Amino acid sequence: MRSLRCPKIDLGPDPMNPREFFINPADYGLPTRDELVAYRIWDNHFHGFASSNPIEQYERNNFFVERMGIERSIAQEVGGTLEKPFEPYPHDEAILKILDRDKDRLSGRTPIDPGFPDESCAKIEKWIRNGPCIGIKYLGSKKKGVTCSHPNNDPILRLAAELNVHVYVHTWLQVGGAPRRPGGGNRESESTPMDLAKLAQRFPQVPLICGHSGGDWELGVRAIRPCKNVLLEFAGSDPHSGMVEYAIRELGVDRLVWGGHGPSRSYATELGKVLDADISKADRMKIFGGNLRRICMPIFRKKGNARGTVICRNHNAPKPNKAATTVVRSLNG
Amino acid sequence: MQPPDRRNFLKNSLLSAAAALVPSGQLWAAQSASRRARSGSSARSPGIIDTNVNLFDWPFRALKYRDTKALVAKLKKHRIVEAWAGSFEALLSKDLNGVNARLAAECREHGPKFLIPFGSVNLAWPDWEEDVRRCHEIHRMPGLRIYPGYQPFDLDHPALETLVRMTAKRGLILQVVFAMEDPRVHHPLIDVRPVTFAPLVKTAKRAPHAKVELLHFPGQIRGDDLNHLKEFLALPNTVLDISRLEGNGAIARMLGSIQGLPSARVPADRIAFGSHAPFCPVETALLKLIESPLDASQLHAIMRDNARRLLPRA
Repeated sequence: MRSLRCPKIDLGPDPMNPREFFINPADYGLPTRDELVAYRIWDNHFHGFASSNPIEQYERNNFFVERMGIERSIAQEVGGTLEKPFEPYPHDEAILKILDRDKDRLSGRTPIDPGFPDESCAKIEKWIRNGPCIGIKYLGSKKKGVTCSHPNNDPILRLAAELNVHVYVHTWLQVGGAPRRPGGGNRESESTPMDLAKLAQRFPQVPLICGHSGGDWELGVRAIRPCKNVLLEFAGSDPHSGMVEYAIRELGVDRLVWGGHGPSRSYATELGKVLDADISKADRMKIFGGNLRRICMPIFRKKGNARGTVICRNHNAPKPNKAATTVVRSLNG
Repeated sequence: MQPPDRRNFLKNSLLSAAAALVPSGQLWAAQSASRRARSGSSARSPGIIDTNVNLFDWPFRALKYRDTKALVAKLKKHRIVEAWAGSFEALLSKDLNGVNARLAAECREHGPKFLIPFGSVNLAWPDWEEDVRRCHEIHRMPGLRIYPGYQPFDLDHPALETLVRMTAKRGLILQVVFAMEDPRVHHPLIDVRPVTFAPLVKTAKRAPHAKVELLHFPGQIRGDDLNHLKEFLALPNTVLDISRLEGNGAIARMLGSIQGLPSARVPADRIAFGSHAPFCPVETALLKLIESPLDASQLHAIMRDNARRLLPRA
């Protein structure tokens, strides 16, 4: 894996580089960085560009990408922002340059809004068919209150099927309302896992990702359980011991993907969910990246990105970069 | 905090010295060799004091490590050498004495000198002062844990100052839990209000030597709460645990080591390891130690020394 350009962290007179550690993870029952790299971790949920200073934030976060051995990140906001997905974004050009510079480590989804199906399809044409993006990111419509189960979504999903791309849908089940119920506290346009299940039944050929495990994973899993084309994402919700094993029991390991949700969430938080599970290395690799590579392979192939296809197919761990090495310093100096 | 002399650490590390001498391609082998010698290095790696675990059943789900024996084995597997244990039963029970007695017995049976019981009192129940006395004098507990919100009071409760003074006088540690889980996924039948921090800061200032730890305190705070946190942690015996510090490099960010990000600039001697197990995976808290760029002195402080300062005995 190529070493990223990333800053050192200033701890005083001697800055620390991302591969320096004063603690050996193996001594604490954790995978070492080498072992994390060997898992081939693909981050399905990366908010590196979600900031008023997106480039600065992205570069800063690379320290942690490198440190935690993340192989590839899928940025959720390429071409516009989650708040204003259809407005030209002043940082688009700089983000495109970074996507090209870091193409071995970074991919992107473009955000759309089902409140505006025509604009959404135009955006998919521009950023996926004719651009660098490899997937569609659904946010809830803030202007029209349209969730992902609304008929507005059908032209978007037909285009997704034609392009053979997956669709990521933000879902939550916020408790609230009167009487209180799961989902009763959702924003007007915020999709529930039940909304996603309705959409999935209409488009069983399109791989869909149920973002944030539906917010409430115990209920989210139940909602999408019958829909074989829906994968469950572990990202952006609190870590609960046992959640991954529960999802495997109900959905099967081939329907789980992992996301870091950084930098607002910790890779530590999200990795811990999967490492908590008593499962085989092969199953861990599926969750950490194998399943996402499987659904991404068609779009990599369609784009003629031979390297991308190799990336998706190759399940062997990459050789370590000889120039950049991991150093565990003594904790007892 | 003085910048650590990190070059000395490097000099004293056999592994790093070996790494400097071998061609770069062999460094990975050197590291692997180090991992193979796990038992040797484990003997030198410091154990961790986990200041935030709970025993028994979480009321809303059967947790993976709800069995105390299994939890103890899990914690020991990750080199936890001591765990300060509260009880999930304290959230909703009225008979707190029964809760505390069961907690003390469970710790004795499954983790003598490993599980350290932290009983609870509920300021909303009558005669809670007697529960303080029993925790201290009968159950020999070194501290108490309160769960505002689940227990029906907030930190502006008029009895809080009495509790803080009582614990200070008895030399007990008072742990204040700010949340158990994301309120967005609460069971619909419960309506737990957010805990307000400011009144605790005022109260703690009036008993400045009280030992108080914040558990599962949100790290991503701004504005007034950020200032309150600075004021609170300026007191001599106050700490917060890492279980709810969120965001890449969250501990380093809390310390102020990551340039360009807002920080409470909390000194490393005010942060303690806490996993919130078995509700959260213990791996999550451990990985935060790895993820954040922390030097040896910071790690020692967070993993063990700060907790040991509050509770000197093993």
